[in-house]
Amino acid sequence: MSEAATKVLIIEDEKQIRRFVRAALEEEGCCVFEADTLAGGLLESGKQKPDLVVLDLGLPDGNGIDFIHQLRAWSDTPVLVLSARSHERDKIQALDVGADDYLTKPFGVGELIARTRALLRRQSRGGEAATPLIAFGDVQVDLARRVVTRGSEPVHLTPIEYRLLCALLANTGKVMTQRHLLREVWGAASVESNHYLRVYVGHLRQKLEDDPTQPKYLLTETGVGYRFQP
Amino acid sequence: MPWQCRAKKIFTQFLLSARENDGRLEFKLIWNNGSIMGLLSKQQNTWLASLADWQKFALAALLCAAMTLIAVPLFGHLDLANIVMLFLLTVLLVAVTLGLKPALLAAFLSVALFDFFFVPPRFSFAVHDAQYLITFAVMLAVAIITGELTAGLRRQADESDTEAMRTRALYEMARDLAGTLTVEQIAEITRKFQRQVLNAEATILLPDGTGGLQPCVGQEAARLQIEPRLAIIAFEGGASVNCSQLVDSGYAVLYLPLKAPMRVRGVIAVAPVDGDADRLLGQRERLETMASLAAIAIERVHYVDVAQNTQVQVVSERLRSSILSALSHDLRTPLTALVGLADSLTVSKPPLAANALETAEAIREQAERLAGLVGNLLDMARLHAGEVTLQKEWQPVEEVIGASIKLLGRALAEHPVKVALAKDFPLLEFDAVLIERVFCNLLENAAKYSPPGSPIEIAVRADEGKAEISVGDSGRGFTPGNSHPVFEMFVRGEAESTTPGVGLGLAISRAIVEAHGGTISAANRPQGGASVSFTLPLGNPPPVIEEEIAHEALGLEHRP
Repeated sequence: MSEAATKVLIIEDEKQIRRFVRAALEEEGCCVFEADTLAGGLLESGKQKPDLVVLDLGLPDGNGIDFIHQLRAWSDTPVLVLSARSHERDKIQALDVGADDYLTKPFGVGELIARTRALLRRQSRGGEAATPLIAFGDVQVDLARRVVTRGSEPVHLTPIEYRLLCALLANTGKVMTQRHLLREVWGAASVESNHYLRVYVGHLRQKLEDDPTQPKYLLTETGVGYRFQP
Repeated sequence: MPWQCRAKKIFTQFLLSARENDGRLEFKLIWNNGSIMGLLSKQQNTWLASLADWQKFALAALLCAAMTLIAVPLFGHLDLANIVMLFLLTVLLVAVTLGLKPALLAAFLSVALFDFFFVPPRFSFAVHDAQYLITFAVMLAVAIITGELTAGLRRQADESDTEAMRTRALYEMARDLAGTLTVEQIAEITRKFQRQVLNAEATILLPDGTGGLQPCVGQEAARLQIEPRLAIIAFEGGASVNCSQLVDSGYAVLYLPLKAPMRVRGVIAVAPVDGDADRLLGQRERLETMASLAAIAIERVHYVDVAQNTQVQVVSERLRSSILSALSHDLRTPLTALVGLADSLTVSKPPLAANALETAEAIREQAERLAGLVGNLLDMARLHAGEVTLQKEWQPVEEVIGASIKLLGRALAEHPVKVALAKDFPLLEFDAVLIERVFCNLLENAAKYSPPGSPIEIAVRADEGKAEISVGDSGRGFTPGNSHPVFEMFVRGEAESTTPGVGLGLAISRAIVEAHGGTISAANRPQGGASVSFTLPLGNPPPVIEEEIAHEALGLEHRP
């Protein structure tokens, strides 16, 4: 059992936070390791080869972003960042250097479990081709045939809208920073025109969401980016 | 040999100035002569200057007598023409050393003595040969011309001496000003210069911030009367103003603007101590030089002050910001643990008894509320500390509305939110994170103060260059006539209420909206309930170029 168990490394300097995160993850059947410093975290991640890292950005001996940098040099283990609200820049930076998702402090156990499950699921799917059919709400996307239908009606998307939708669908559950999406959809040249991205996300919502002002699937992470949540 | 050196120096100086300044050759020549005469007179000054007029005349007479004593034994050995030369020499020497009037006396005496002792018939004033009258006339002419010339040169020498002294004083003033640290020191140095060099009284006037000019601190004691209107004219026009009629009533006659490179820094008012306004106005060029020196010094001191203030500000801001972030971290960490630990109790297996479960949920709820309050307090502190820099970007407002509704989640569970917004509403420029705070606060308030199940309405419309966004509920509304104070910190609509909150939400919202150049107001809706509206400037959103092949590129029928 312990061989097959999912290994999660928690790097957080506050003991009580480690404690409840550990309890929640163990409840999920994970095997949990802990570290309370950046150096300790690097050591443990090398030793245990975890399947997921839960990382606090403010560590006593350094910035969590440096940890992600160093980890990404040899591992693509998903990283879930814990960060305070009003630190949007830290979040973006963490995501840009390779973090997979973040949780804003304070957070509940429910949110924590949902995020870790999503990350682990994507991890276990790994490189194998995802299904070409993705459905959310009453929308069906056939990636193989490049067809989007809502109910039974076909939805007309412009090339940019389609590329944007694909970029979001390909990273289900993951926060995509604005920079990342702009680069992926418009190319490296247009990383400064954030308003394009916002306008096109608005178009997608109008075509695919029931109430574009209260989207259910194409979610805004204010100040950071977007997330597709089926 | 000192005199050789000096001569060489003067000669070189003359050559140099001649080469550099062809147009002013003549002037320089006179100047150098002046220097020579200056040197001469300086050496003699020691005892000659101390002589009274009668002593000078006596000396001239003595010299003539001495020359007669020398010449008498030579009579018979020398021609009369050569003896005349000796007397001429005497007249020349007297003219050069003692000035015009003693020289005239010497000339008359020489003529008389020469006539009496040497011209036949000797020992009588009678003259046999009329040609000696020419000799007398030449001697007189020599005396007059030489005396005039010498007096002129000496005057020039004196003038250039004064000039040099004043220039030196100006240099000294410039040097002193370079070391000043306060405007008061500058004022004092300027005053000293005026008094010593120009025999004038001066006061520096500085703008008092209300459009007027006030004497610099420490100079109020100066007895100088100032005509404020003239000072203002000089200050605003940037040109000097003078009015010599004012001198009799003890007012300053000349008002010079202190023109520094960046702007006019003040005015210096000058009055002659001796009441001679024309003399002072004649020194205008020098006064202007002095004014610009003082102005540059004042500007330098001003920028030193600015730099120092900025540094202090930077240090205190850094301190404030580090305190805030430490506080934020220290408060949030235990709250995060508290929320998480309480939450983990509610999901623990086997489940807790119903009673304990309820307690755990209550703890979680309270901890979350506390976290919200701490967040608001820290936000307010940040906004007040001026630490928040707006990350303004052009974006659709519905996006941040949607994000706020999603963020509030459970708090809005019992209130359906209706959004009324035109489909093609223009993009607005704002900081999404902060405006999200505004929406969260307004929606939270609306939910808190209205009965469960009642809808919350958000309406967005464009109105005269600004977007007006209102959040309305169906609660009891604000107490009439008391809508403004709710935006103050710690003021709540209902003073005695069981509804939780400390009234920070609206104060933060106001601070954020005002930072965006908008306004926020509260009102009661005609159909009942409260409504809080805020505005954001519409501005000119950047264009979005739509795709040209918009509607054909993708679709079922285009694919094999």
